[in-house]
Amino acid sequence: MPENAPDAIPFEDIPAVPVSAEARDGYQVRLEIFEGPLDLLLFLIRKKKIDIQDIPIAAITRDYLDYLNGKVQINLDREAEFLFIAALLIYIKSQMLLPRETDLAEQEDPRQVLVNRLLEYQKIKAACSLLREREEDQILQWKRTFLPPLPGESELDFAEVSLFDLAESFFLMMKRRSAEDTRVIRGRDVSYEEKMKELFGLLRDGQVLDFLAYFATQESLEEALVSFFCLLELVKSRQAVAVQDELFQTIRVWLRKDARRTGHHE
Amino acid sequence: MSSDLKNIIEALVFISQEPLTLDRIKAVLEGAPDEEVQAAVDELLQDYAAAGRGIQVVHTGGGYILSTRPEHDRWVRRLLQIERKNKLSSAALETLSGIAYHQPVTQAEISAIRGVDSTYTLKTLLEKKLIKIIGRKKAPGNPLIYRTSERFLQYFGLNSLDELPSEEEIGKILQEEKSSEG
Repeated sequence: MPENAPDAIPFEDIPAVPVSAEARDGYQVRLEIFEGPLDLLLFLIRKKKIDIQDIPIAAITRDYLDYLNGKVQINLDREAEFLFIAALLIYIKSQMLLPRETDLAEQEDPRQVLVNRLLEYQKIKAACSLLREREEDQILQWKRTFLPPLPGESELDFAEVSLFDLAESFFLMMKRRSAEDTRVIRGRDVSYEEKMKELFGLLRDGQVLDFLAYFATQESLEEALVSFFCLLELVKSRQAVAVQDELFQTIRVWLRKDARRTGHHE
Repeated sequence: MSSDLKNIIEALVFISQEPLTLDRIKAVLEGAPDEEVQAAVDELLQDYAAAGRGIQVVHTGGGYILSTRPEHDRWVRRLLQIERKNKLSSAALETLSGIAYHQPVTQAEISAIRGVDSTYTLKTLLEKKLIKIIGRKKAPGNPLIYRTSERFLQYFGLNSLDELPSEEEIGKILQEEKSSEG
């Protein structure tokens, strides 16, 4: 053990953290103001004005479990992390209750693992508040390294999208729509010609159309499909330009200048 | 000569997209004595620090770079059409802080430090280029190893990891927190 600095966490002593909902799709559930179970534990310890080096495990375990019980409606995946620390607390408590042959002073305090983690976590939290101050100071000083692209008038900044990108956005949009709880009351026949006229109406006078927003207004899958085909047709016949700033972002559509002049030919 | 040197350095800083290190400046100005280069840089910084300018030369991320002055933030944002600059989420900041002090670390290690699974947060930090992958650990599963990036330093206005909040500063914060609750 000589390699372990006193304040370093011996990682091998810490069992892996259960994978939470955070990992799956980036959906983060925050438990009140606590960033995690250690945060909650530190809060409880501070509230009781307890010395971290000498935690009354029984009392803290009770507080901790009370808190978890009070939160019936929390996300179960996220709760796993909180329960994990609860289990650790109970384990430590049981270790302290066990009769020992050797004197406690000679053995390592069963609380030590937890204390080390808490001390380290506390340090990181404190560093966070200092870093936050620096961040607030720094973000007022704009540098070109962090510059987003200038909001543009020019067409040249964008890469024109391929039909595949269009199709991808279309499926993305359909996926979004299927997630919504909507119901179509009645079907309506949509003709290609009507749709084309409608699209041209929207795109006239150099209007820029937000592709995803436009599809969101379509009533049915059928209608959405027809508009999509119209759009593909316009792009294919080089009457309209479709650009996408970034992958998975919306695609914006407008008519080419010559198409605007000649108008729509049947 | 000295004022020439200063103007050349100004041009170099202007055209640099990333912080321009002193070593790079010296390499470009080959032959110029180190102390003269340093003096010219200092003078340049002073010139910009003097009132009456919208931009400044700052020493950050291990080099010199031009930035706008904080008091013009509002106007810059109007130009860029940014309502409010996004700050890091507290989960992201906590993860970043953990990595900064414990690097190089793996996902499992940073998750253990925080007591919270950090897979997603690591992904966002990677996207923001505030951390980078430097390889794989020779351990079961060969997990990826993460470090803070040069951009991390620049983001917080630091020149090296040595400038991270020190033990003393952190101790002071903890002391304040304790007494404020008492």
